[in-house]
Amino acid sequence: MVNRTAIIKQPDNISFFNDVYKLQKEYQEALILDNSIPDFIWIGEHQLCYTLGRGSNYDNLLFSLNDTNYDVFKIDRGGEVTCHMPGQLITYLVLDLKNFNKDLNWYLRKIEEIIIKILGTFNIDCHSREGFTGVWIGNKKIASIGIGCKRWITINGFSINIDCELENFNKIVPCGIENCLMANMIDYNKNLNIQEVKKIVKKIIQEEFNFDFVSK
Amino acid sequence: MSHEIFMPALSSTMTEGKIVEWLKNPGDKVERGESVLVVESDKADMDVESFQDGYLAAVLMPAGSTAPVGETIGLIVENEDEIASVQEKNKGNQPEVSSSDQLELVSNKTEEKPVVQTENINKEAEVVLKLEKPVPSFKTDQINAATSNVSSRIIASPRAKKLASQMGVDLAKVHGSGPHGRIQADDILKANGQPVSIPWIGEGDSPASIPGVNLGVKSKPETSGNSFGNPGETVQFNTLQKAVNKNMESSLEVPCFRVGYSINTDKLDNFYKKVKQNGVTMTALLVKAVAKTLKKHPQVNSSFSENGISYPENINIAVAVAMEDGGLITPVLKEPCNTDLFELSREWKDLVKRSRSKQLEPDEYSTGTFTLSNLGMFGVDRFDAILPPGTGAILAIASSKPTVIANNDGSISVKKIMQVNLTADHRVIYGADGASFLKDLAYLIENEPETLVS
Repeated sequence: MVNRTAIIKQPDNISFFNDVYKLQKEYQEALILDNSIPDFIWIGEHQLCYTLGRGSNYDNLLFSLNDTNYDVFKIDRGGEVTCHMPGQLITYLVLDLKNFNKDLNWYLRKIEEIIIKILGTFNIDCHSREGFTGVWIGNKKIASIGIGCKRWITINGFSINIDCELENFNKIVPCGIENCLMANMIDYNKNLNIQEVKKIVKKIIQEEFNFDFVSK
Repeated sequence: MSHEIFMPALSSTMTEGKIVEWLKNPGDKVERGESVLVVESDKADMDVESFQDGYLAAVLMPAGSTAPVGETIGLIVENEDEIASVQEKNKGNQPEVSSSDQLELVSNKTEEKPVVQTENINKEAEVVLKLEKPVPSFKTDQINAATSNVSSRIIASPRAKKLASQMGVDLAKVHGSGPHGRIQADDILKANGQPVSIPWIGEGDSPASIPGVNLGVKSKPETSGNSFGNPGETVQFNTLQKAVNKNMESSLEVPCFRVGYSINTDKLDNFYKKVKQNGVTMTALLVKAVAKTLKKHPQVNSSFSENGISYPENINIAVAVAMEDGGLITPVLKEPCNTDLFELSREWKDLVKRSRSKQLEPDEYSTGTFTLSNLGMFGVDRFDAILPPGTGAILAIASSKPTVIANNDGSISVKKIMQVNLTADHRVIYGADGASFLKDLAYLIENEPETLVS
């Protein structure tokens, strides 16, 4: 695999969803216009919000869209509704797949592999499930994946529940799977914290995609 | 001139994609590189862009529908004044998402739900459309007739090209039925003499094999399912359908039971490969095996009558064949034990040919003493048949599939396994009769398929 440069951003504070989404779109558009510029990786946390893919079924949202207590965003990724909140680590990858493999199935499986390696570092045994993209511990979902793509430039990425209020998922049918149980990493390893996980996410992404990171 | 938008391949293993959303409406101006629609595969979305400046003239597959990779899903024209003519040619194929009918349908459906929000109706419309079956493929010949063969360049869908190379079909000699004479996968199948429609029941080459190369699990069949009417219509039963209905209803008075068996077909498949070149069909092989086993198990060939258990003089095997225009017929192979395998295969081919043209004599479809129904060619792993009146038993034959087997010695192996399921009238045939019949049938198929020759 070629050596590549990627800009990495990993803010310590909680970021507003919309700001980061706009940032991703800017990088995606820039990469479409000029594919010699670096890829872009963002690792961080969001305030409580719900996001839907373009093909999502609104029935999986168990509250009214008019309810101003909840922030809802419809974004360009695949998959059904999900929920973001502090204590959940989000990783966005704006990558030019033309430099890797022009195959979205390969990319989804690669991300699952990466998440399994991240959790493995913390001695948490987890797995993928055929037909249910994401990463699971037994029958509980620990990480969710949603990808968008335009001219093989990806957008969005994956979220791992580290130590977050899982009750927030009760307001939706996560990923459109009825009775889907969610899990937190902290329940399987009491000694970890989100800052440590962040470092490992960065390290494993670097190794798996063979990136040279540039901070910005 | 118009340019086609094809269903893109988002991954090497993808055979079909779902249209999530059209970002443009028919008539909208599009620029080169602008996203026109969104296609989804698993948890990944892909924007599909226009390759030229122009106007989106037609949406051939609506949001929510699924199309095979390479299928034409929309048309783009260069000039605004071409929109009308392209739309005219594709009339009836474009989904009218926002028509009042559609909203009517939606509001009817939402009434059943506890919460109805009027402002959500548009979104509901999307959801309802997604639940509907994909729109059947549009009548490509409408646009084809006027515009095909304008150039000598061969235009073919990626799938058609692949099939052509696999089957050794010369693309230059194929007449394309797609827009502008584009060669579609179906055209290749036709050119290769393969049925494009769903294969007929009882005609499988093998319980294991899938006719053609593309009706398997790996790729989606090109053809849509059978339908004798249009949505919203009620179509009268034809004579044959009425006859089938009567027979099926009379089965409700028969106390049936079912017993199943898994049969290893490795040897049978090998034997079939050898004799296939001599014109032997899998149906003939299965009929022969069943008839030979019935000879040892006359009870399973018997039927109920008011006077008691009736044992027919002959063993006549009826095989269910679906008719293209509805209903099914059961051509009968008489006394297969007295006919050699090659003659039996010829007889079977003749019967199928004549049942298609409805030229069977009554005694050629009504004298069966035992029935076979084979859905193996569709890849089904098991099913359950309904007992035809006047007989004691019917055998449902499913597809033969590679299966991991735990052997008695603790070792593991992969063998082709075919599930069969016997439905029998318990007034004349008991569980033990059915079970021992199946045991002997399995023994014959698994160990001595070569004895089926005579």
